[in-house]
Amino acid sequence: MKKASELNFGEKGIINEIDFTHPSSRRIVEVGFTPGQEIVLINKSIFNDPLAFAVRGTLIAIRKNEAECIKVA
Amino acid sequence: MITDSIISVPLITLVGPPNAGKTTLFNLLSGKNHKTVNYPGATVEYAISKIHAKYNLKAEILDSPGIISLIPSSPDERVAIEALFSHPEIGMPDLIVATVDSTQLSRHLLLVEQLLQAGFNVIVALTMTDMLHKRGMDISAALLEEELNCPVAKINGRTGSGSRELIALIERRLNSHQGVPAPLSFEKSMQIDMLINSYRDIERIEKKVLYELPVKPDSFNLTEANKKLVLLNQPKSSIDNLRLDRTTVQIDNILLHKVWGFLFFFLIMSLTFTSIFWFAEPLMNLVDKGFSELADFAQSFLGHNVIGDLISSGIISGTGSVMVFLPQIIILFLILGLLEDTGYLARGAMLVDRPLSKIGLNGRSFVPMLSGFACAIPAILAARTIPNKKERLLTVFIIPLMSCSARLPVYTLLIAFLILPGKLWLGGILLAAIYIFSIFSSIITASLINKLKNRIITEEDNSSFILELPSYRMPKLSIVLYNTYSSAKVYLKRAGPVILFFSLSIWFLTYFPNYNPVVESEGLSQNQIVQLQNAERLAGSYAADLGKFIQPVMTPIGMDWRVGVSLIAAFAAREVFVSSLALIFKVTSDDEKLQESILAAMRTATIEDTGKKLFTTSTIIGLIVFFVFALQCLSTIAVSRKETGGWRIPVLQLVIFTSAAYIFTFITVNGLRFLGLD
Ligand SMILES: Nc1nc2c(ncn2[C@@H]2O[C@H](COP(=O)(O)OP(=O)(O)OP(=O)(O)O)[C@@H](O)[C@H]2O)c(=O)[nH]1
Ligand SMILES: [Mg+2]
Repeated sequence: MKKASELNFGEKGIINEIDFTHPSSRRIVEVGFTPGQEIVLINKSIFNDPLAFAVRGTLIAIRKNEAECIKVA
Repeated sequence: MITDSIISVPLITLVGPPNAGKTTLFNLLSGKNHKTVNYPGATVEYAISKIHAKYNLKAEILDSPGIISLIPSSPDERVAIEALFSHPEIGMPDLIVATVDSTQLSRHLLLVEQLLQAGFNVIVALTMTDMLHKRGMDISAALLEEELNCPVAKINGRTGSGSRELIALIERRLNSHQGVPAPLSFEKSMQIDMLINSYRDIERIEKKVLYELPVKPDSFNLTEANKKLVLLNQPKSSIDNLRLDRTTVQIDNILLHKVWGFLFFFLIMSLTFTSIFWFAEPLMNLVDKGFSELADFAQSFLGHNVIGDLISSGIISGTGSVMVFLPQIIILFLILGLLEDTGYLARGAMLVDRPLSKIGLNGRSFVPMLSGFACAIPAILAARTIPNKKERLLTVFIIPLMSCSARLPVYTLLIAFLILPGKLWLGGILLAAIYIFSIFSSIITASLINKLKNRIITEEDNSSFILELPSYRMPKLSIVLYNTYSSAKVYLKRAGPVILFFSLSIWFLTYFPNYNPVVESEGLSQNQIVQLQNAERLAGSYAADLGKFIQPVMTPIGMDWRVGVSLIAAFAAREVFVSSLALIFKVTSDDEKLQESILAAMRTATIEDTGKKLFTTSTIIGLIVFFVFALQCLSTIAVSRKETGGWRIPVLQLVIFTSAAYIFTFITVNGLRFLGLD
């Protein structure tokens, strides 16, 4: 299992679980990153942070350290 | 309660996630007379209005800031959400119209579910249905109504279709619902499970209500149909499965490119600012010329007496100095509005998040900082969207350093002094240099303050950047124009009276008590007599008394009391500097434009004691430096106090920025002189 932050450009992953100890985890779930959802890494900003993911038909940018609490398979 | 509903009209609050179309819907439904109310905690003003008369419904409608969930993530969000249940000024809404972007159905239904769970009287307004159609999909309002057990209406915010049906639903619903909503209360450990369960339920609903539109063959021409066929025959790529907007992904591949992204960012930003000057310059000249002609006309009509001087130099020139920067404000708001409507600003925020987080700011500081180039007041309000308190305070702190448009008339005048006529292109470059200088100063200030802040503010909020990147779309000019119009109006209302008041005060201070001086008039032309009288009057005026008082402060930076008085006047609002210089140097604007006659007066002005030229290259550059740093704006101080919840931040801003201005001006003027550049 790897973290969403470790996905490559255009790579797909299915969310397996969210690390609830991260302070941003609830907001991340609220914006649509829930277990079972397919996400794709679409863009990276310069310095590779933040990352833009496709989730539920939209693009959401989150910081790399926040993407680390999303575990994908 | 029967009495209640008779006395007060019902209140409808628009609630929804950011960008769901609340404000658009508000503009569709509301009448002409918007007033604004403060959103508690979020001191940002939100519009409240009666429903438009054509709908024949007596109710008030309130716009509100976008929220993602009813469970707050920060103390400020808590205040905003609690205000939904009971607003301190306007009470609890009788009905909530929850906007749901139908292209974002599953994400936006989360809030609807929470609103229903909390017991609110809810109507769902499905917005952006036109966008959904474009993706070849549609949504069944009837099925959704059944699933959610609350009324649903489809709205096209761009054409306004569906608004009558919505009003009909509102009318029916206002009379039916009873019950008092209560905030959601969940154990912290339960919250995430609850959210995941809600999402499961929503996914089930989504599958049921969304369906693909049948492709109508007759609605396409042949080539179009062929294209469709080709597309249909292609195996669906993973992008298609994600229901993303294809064009958006393609544009983002360029604009968010790992390397080129930043280059495009700088290009777009520089284009934005240069175009402001191109467009604004001719308009400004027009306004300037118009007002100085009006002033001349009034003067010649009323003659050189107290009334004539009051009306022409006091009132007309004072008003002119308010109006002259209106073109810049309008153009800046217009361009920023267009940029925002395309969806690019969210990308900009993403691109700068990392560098900004290094100096204690956030990607979300980007839009407030950018608005700061128009005016600090809406910019400070916009900082509300930064969830982390520390980052928000720091953003508010440095916003006054952004070169707001009130500084433009000042810079324009000072630059015009520096450059020779015929080298106007140089003016643009100098102006750009000032902007870049002000950006660098704010970055340095932010990082310095950030270091200090760690000691001052001890609470550690979680620093976070979670931002939706909306699909790119063609900006709709009519909407942008309308928003620009209302921003300009708010701006004039807020800044106008202050500026006018201070222009008049300066006029008064420079005119009295010696308003009718006796001068030796033998052998002099009428014009010369007036000039002489003006000089005499000023020399014996209150302003001169005040000036002698501050002379010791002005001498070290190479200036005299006349500049000092103008600088003090400019603390009301920066652009007052220009009109007050004009008054103090008693500019007689014959048929020249106001600016040219000020320039002419400035070129000949000397320091009284020494007889040396007052305005030289070094003092002008010094003045520019002063304006880059000094916090000279009463409205900014007021808004900063309101937004930061106390006097500490605004007082710190005032003291730090103004002493920095003085010190740096001192260094600049004397440094330049030391280097032999007078
Ligand atoms: N195509 C289309 N665009 C719409 C529709 N409704 C709103 N928009 C656009 O969507 C964008 C966001 O709309 P707003 O009304 O500002 O959204 P909001 O909910 O007030 O957003 P916040 O105040 O930021 O929370 C604007 O660019 C609107 O022009 C619609 O029905 N169709
Ligand atoms: Mg809005």
